[in-house]
Amino acid sequence: MNTTTLRAHPLGDSAVAIEFGTERSAALLDRIHAAARLLEAAGIPHVEDVVPAYLALTVFYDSHHASYGEMSAQLLEACEQTMQHTRDAPSPRTYVIQVHYDGMDLDAVAAATGLSVGEVIARHTARAYTVDLLGFVPGFAYLSELHPSLQLPRRPEPRPRVKAGSVAIAAAQTGVYPLDTPGGWHIIGRTETVMFDPTREPAALLRAGDVVQFQSTG
Amino acid sequence: MITVSRAPPYLAVQDSGGRHARASGVPQGGAMDSFALAAANALAGNPLDAAGLEWALGGGSIKFERDTVFALSGAKVHATLSGQSVAPCTTVYARSGDELAIERISSGRFLYVAVNGGIEVPVVLGSRSTYLPGHFGGHEGRTLKHGDPLPLGAPPGHSPAAGCHCAADLLPRYEMGIVHVTRGTHSDLFDEAAWHTFTDSEYKIAPASDRTGYRLEGPSLRNPVGTLPSAASCPGSIQVPGDGFPIALMADAPTVGGYPKIAVVAEADLPILAQRSPGETIRFELITIEQSQRALRRRASDLHTISQLAIRSSR
Repeated sequence: MNTTTLRAHPLGDSAVAIEFGTERSAALLDRIHAAARLLEAAGIPHVEDVVPAYLALTVFYDSHHASYGEMSAQLLEACEQTMQHTRDAPSPRTYVIQVHYDGMDLDAVAAATGLSVGEVIARHTARAYTVDLLGFVPGFAYLSELHPSLQLPRRPEPRPRVKAGSVAIAAAQTGVYPLDTPGGWHIIGRTETVMFDPTREPAALLRAGDVVQFQSTG
Repeated sequence: MITVSRAPPYLAVQDSGGRHARASGVPQGGAMDSFALAAANALAGNPLDAAGLEWALGGGSIKFERDTVFALSGAKVHATLSGQSVAPCTTVYARSGDELAIERISSGRFLYVAVNGGIEVPVVLGSRSTYLPGHFGGHEGRTLKHGDPLPLGAPPGHSPAAGCHCAADLLPRYEMGIVHVTRGTHSDLFDEAAWHTFTDSEYKIAPASDRTGYRLEGPSLRNPVGTLPSAASCPGSIQVPGDGFPIALMADAPTVGGYPKIAVVAEADLPILAQRSPGETIRFELITIEQSQRALRRRASDLHTISQLAIRSSR
């Protein structure tokens, strides 16, 4: 039985945020991911984008053809139903990403964590990560959760340019920079896998809820 | 085709945005003042969401390589077509070889140039808009330079008569500087004092303001929580970082963020905010979501009126 009460808030004229809870947890995020997949599959008219995040699922809609009142009522009902049927949601997809562990911060990460470089690599590749959400830049997937011994605060000074394909860690998360962007995470490796290509369909390799396993190319 | 004969500091291809890939972290993008681009499109005989030029920060010129009609909207400028002065929000006939020169922008921030047929750059993820941080969309994912050729689409069937003009009462009231907002997803986290401050004060657009966001200078608002677990944002979201100085997210803002959102700018008034330059002020007024959506539909109906005006003139 699920007794959580869902609440709807407007996010401007063209989005409804459906709040699933107030405390961040892996279980809550799983529910939100499952609801997002079910909502997308439901094909509700005027829905444009379904954006899952830690506490809420935000649905962007065509506000020229649907009002907030109509949309929020419809989405609350649809989300209530998904809560009863989360087992029907499509299973998460799993991706294996090959990494050359030769990042410019790898030695510094080893020094800061008191581990050998080999142990850093072993612990980074030892577990499967979940895509919490995408954001920051197109195709950037926040992956959780890093082994506690690898958790370091982000670099005090972000680098003005981090190359696309850089594999990095910060706090409890890891990720791959999809584009050349500024970045403050510790770079431990690089991958040839293209995380984001605007001319590809879908453009982003990963979506929220997917599972990622890193493998060392040696 | 049109060619950039003298590039201003900022010139880029934009349309109405909306790539519908927010779940992949792709921002909404598109014109900062989507109303002005849509109005210019209507007067140029285009669908409202056609791609045009977004122009800012200074003068420059473009050259028409075919006979066509075009229209200017948005920021107020001193514009000439081969020496003849060009009126804003008016259909203008250009001959092949004519040069449109913008001397300077006198008020407002973004000028829009819509040309009959629209700028036909490739569609990337459902939009022709330029997303500069990602280096994609528009013309090669970048701002335009001297000599860039821009293909025009096939004329869309009707060509409004030169002189077709849209009355000022159909445009947003840019000069008032009043920006309506609805409560944001975290509005309850802010106390009454913060709300009073937010709606009773003037805020000045800070110099560090661009297509990603406008930083606002004025009384700070007590942020009681610091950061929150990341949540979806949209253009117009007004977030309050730890220092208490609000930031209004704009067209190219990231899709998620961790600062609490006190309010969201009514889409109908986002053009008014977008057209404020650094140093200029605005005031926020709270309305309900129902009022905000009604105002947005009024804007849509005003754009429809402008389109009808242009279509009737072409007969």
